[in-house]
Amino acid sequence: MSGLYRTIFVLLFIALLGSSCQSGPGNRYELVYSMEPVSSSGHSAPQSTDEPQRKYKIAFVPKGTEIDYFNYAAQGAQEAARNLGVEVLFRGSTIADAGLQIEAVERLIEEKVDLIAISANDPVKLVPVLEEARAAGIKVITWDADTLPEGREFFVNMVDPEVLGRHLLDTLASTMGEAGNYAIMTGSFSAANLNEWLKWINVQQREYYPDLNLVATVATDDDRDKAYEVANKLLMDYPDLNGIIGNSSVGPPAAAQAVKEAGKAGSVKVVGLSNPNLMRDYLHEGSAQVATLWSPKKLGYLTIALACNYLNEVLPVDGQAVEGVGIVRVNGDMVIMGEPLDFNAENVDQYDF
Amino acid sequence: MTSKRWRGFEFRNYPIAYKLIVSYTLLTALPLLLLVYISYTQYARSVEEQIGEYMPRFLYQANADVGKHIDELTTLPEILFNSDSILAILRRTSYTQRSELNRDQYAMNSYLARTYTNGRNADVLGVFVVSNDRLFSSSKLNFKETDWSRTITDYAAGIEPSGKVRIILPDEIDVQFESDVPYVFMLQQINDVDNRKYLGTMLIAVDLSFIDDIVRNFEKNARADLWVMNPSGKIIYHTNRHLIGSEDKDVAKYPTLNGSFRTNATGQDRLVSVNQTTDRGWILLHSIPLRDLTERTDLVRNVTVFVLIGIIILTSVIGVIISYSMTRPLKKLTGLMKTVEMGDFQVDLKVQRGDEVGMLARSFNSMIATIRDLIQQNYQIEIRQKNAELYALQSQINPHFMYNTLETIGMAVEEGETEVVVDMVTLLGRMLRFSVSNQSKFVTIAEEVQHVRDYLTIQKFRFEDRVSFEIVHHMNENDFHTLFIPKFILQPIVENSIKYGLETRKTLEIHIAVSEEFGARSGKRDVVLRIRDNGPGIPPDRVIELEQSLKKSSLESRSSHFGLVNVNARIVMMHGADYGLQLHSIVGKGTEIMIRIPMTRGEAISNAND
Repeated sequence: MSGLYRTIFVLLFIALLGSSCQSGPGNRYELVYSMEPVSSSGHSAPQSTDEPQRKYKIAFVPKGTEIDYFNYAAQGAQEAARNLGVEVLFRGSTIADAGLQIEAVERLIEEKVDLIAISANDPVKLVPVLEEARAAGIKVITWDADTLPEGREFFVNMVDPEVLGRHLLDTLASTMGEAGNYAIMTGSFSAANLNEWLKWINVQQREYYPDLNLVATVATDDDRDKAYEVANKLLMDYPDLNGIIGNSSVGPPAAAQAVKEAGKAGSVKVVGLSNPNLMRDYLHEGSAQVATLWSPKKLGYLTIALACNYLNEVLPVDGQAVEGVGIVRVNGDMVIMGEPLDFNAENVDQYDF
Repeated sequence: MTSKRWRGFEFRNYPIAYKLIVSYTLLTALPLLLLVYISYTQYARSVEEQIGEYMPRFLYQANADVGKHIDELTTLPEILFNSDSILAILRRTSYTQRSELNRDQYAMNSYLARTYTNGRNADVLGVFVVSNDRLFSSSKLNFKETDWSRTITDYAAGIEPSGKVRIILPDEIDVQFESDVPYVFMLQQINDVDNRKYLGTMLIAVDLSFIDDIVRNFEKNARADLWVMNPSGKIIYHTNRHLIGSEDKDVAKYPTLNGSFRTNATGQDRLVSVNQTTDRGWILLHSIPLRDLTERTDLVRNVTVFVLIGIIILTSVIGVIISYSMTRPLKKLTGLMKTVEMGDFQVDLKVQRGDEVGMLARSFNSMIATIRDLIQQNYQIEIRQKNAELYALQSQINPHFMYNTLETIGMAVEEGETEVVVDMVTLLGRMLRFSVSNQSKFVTIAEEVQHVRDYLTIQKFRFEDRVSFEIVHHMNENDFHTLFIPKFILQPIVENSIKYGLETRKTLEIHIAVSEEFGARSGKRDVVLRIRDNGPGIPPDRVIELEQSLKKSSLESRSSHFGLVNVNARIVMMHGADYGLQLHSIVGKGTEIMIRIPMTRGEAISNAND
């Protein structure tokens, strides 16, 4: 009979053991469902953005290497190069000249850089050499000053040309009391961006300021000495001149210097695109009223950041937040960095470029 | 050896109760149990798999919502750049007057309060901006620490520069809010994008309670845990507030970070679902005890298990009862058989049942009864036979008869009647030879008749005219010499007649007739011997008594008529109740005794004697 009870006990035990969900010893992890694709172990944290296998070589070509504006841009580009782990070559002609710039590009093609980011001195003349570069497998983008679309993939613009052009005239109009004669000192008649801004300056004047009178539009060739000469000539040629707009960075300082030396500080208003560092003294003295610009460092940084993305096959999109820059807009194949900054006597000390 | 031992464990050797219970359990409980077990596990598994499959999707959605919310919050620092005056304050590196600093502090703090803490975004608990050793702040909650401003400033000074928003867990900075709301700091370096300069560091304390709202949408079970970890396992948010800031060390062991798995790591079986965002790497986990998922199934399972246990117990009890009801009579039977083996046949297996056991008991009883009867019969026939033979032998050489005969012979010798003496001696010798020589129980009719004739002749010598006899046979000579009858059946009757007849009568006549007659009881022709005398007869009450003792064939009392009873008993024993003695007596006139015997040939006798 003991065998009988033992068997009953064993059966009951088995039944209970079977019914109580089997509880194995130790910790265990039993996969029930996985959403991960089979191939990836997927245990690590998500991959950071693709690291380039080798260091990309990016040529950052200004209009002229000795122009302050482009040097500041190069500072931003180098900062981006450090942050993004690419090599940036700041190469170009010393002065803003299309022919010299073409030669510089040719040298870069020989160097087999990965990408050329260029601020073109001439929208048309540069195209063949840029096409040559592209044929050689070098990616090309433009910044600051564009070429014809076939010469590059996209253009990194600082501001919307319409916004800038209209804004430049608005600042002049407000300092001049919306009436009087004014002259424009442009960099060169061949630079596409400058011509675009000129167009919008004139449009704005025609639309809103009938009492303003444009007396002359002259070119400085983006040369300090030439600009100074041109400014003096304007003051002499037009004694009743009330204002000068400079739409390239060398213009306004030269104009302010000329105005100051002519003793016309305050009576001839000087506004326009220029670096705060060049304009600081004139703004404080009152020989210039308002300088308008964007941060060339930021532009340089943005150009390299977008170039880097482009080398990784990522094209800019509208509303994209570029780290270290902010949100950019994209209009067709044109990237617009942001809004222009105005510098006056009060805030010019905040800026360092 | 092994085979022998195995034989000991063979199923058929186990008790019936054991077999019954094992069979019941095997046939009913075990299959049921198996069925329930399989269906339960399958159901539980499918529930787990269902939840394990859809929960990660919910988590993915929730995680995406959380991520989206955090993304929205990470844009908060950018608002700072919208204000030129604020940028101007941040760009300022030195002050000539304390009042200027205080004015900037005021402007900045009120801007922060306006824009962040009192703004649209309810999740912002506080904003702290560290710039050029200045701390601007606006906070809804107070810190527990009094020197929090120093701590935050020091912390901000010590961090690596980065353009990205970083999530800082509260315990990374040694400050704590007085309230116990879950929160994180979002740390953003403020860079002057225009001047490409570092302006300061912004810390936004963000209330994480919004995660509650997101996750509580799809999980209302209070026992379910939901938590958010960063990729290294640091818990950013947990439905159990105390665990925020602690570390989940098992995260490396998780088999997946996008899916579900079962674990008993917490000492409890739980289903854990996980989702990790691809951008920030935050892991959202949902953990629920398996018990809660299979609650209803568990109830069914437990009920079934208890019912099954009940069934097993019931079947065991039934098995025990049935086997007991079977084994008890069998055991009793075994005991009774032992008793029978010892020689006691007075047993009775009392089982009042109609089933096989009852049949067995009845068979046993009838078998025992049969055995008992057979033993009784053989035993008693043997004894009676022996008694009858012993008596017959005693009668044949009755000393009294011998003495009387020898005395008669003596007297005859004295009187010189030589012929008589010779006759008597011859007769006596033949009688003795008859008694001694033939050991068979049967003799021919002729021999038996001859013997009784000798006897009567001797008696006639003795009693002279007082005794007369006549012997006739009405059958052919062949039958007379070939038919057999039991030996020594006539002499006791004749002796009886002489004994009683000579007591009362002066002369006694004895008539013996042998014939063949048709017997009504046996239904065939029988040998009939009639012994008639003219003795005193037997009184009727005595006749009834005698007939009764003949019927009983009892041999207990050696009564006066023992001779008759003995003869009758021997015939009945040999030939059955159809045969035997019949008694007819009239008081004062005489008695006739009729002996009926089947016709028996020699060959039958020799068979019977074997």
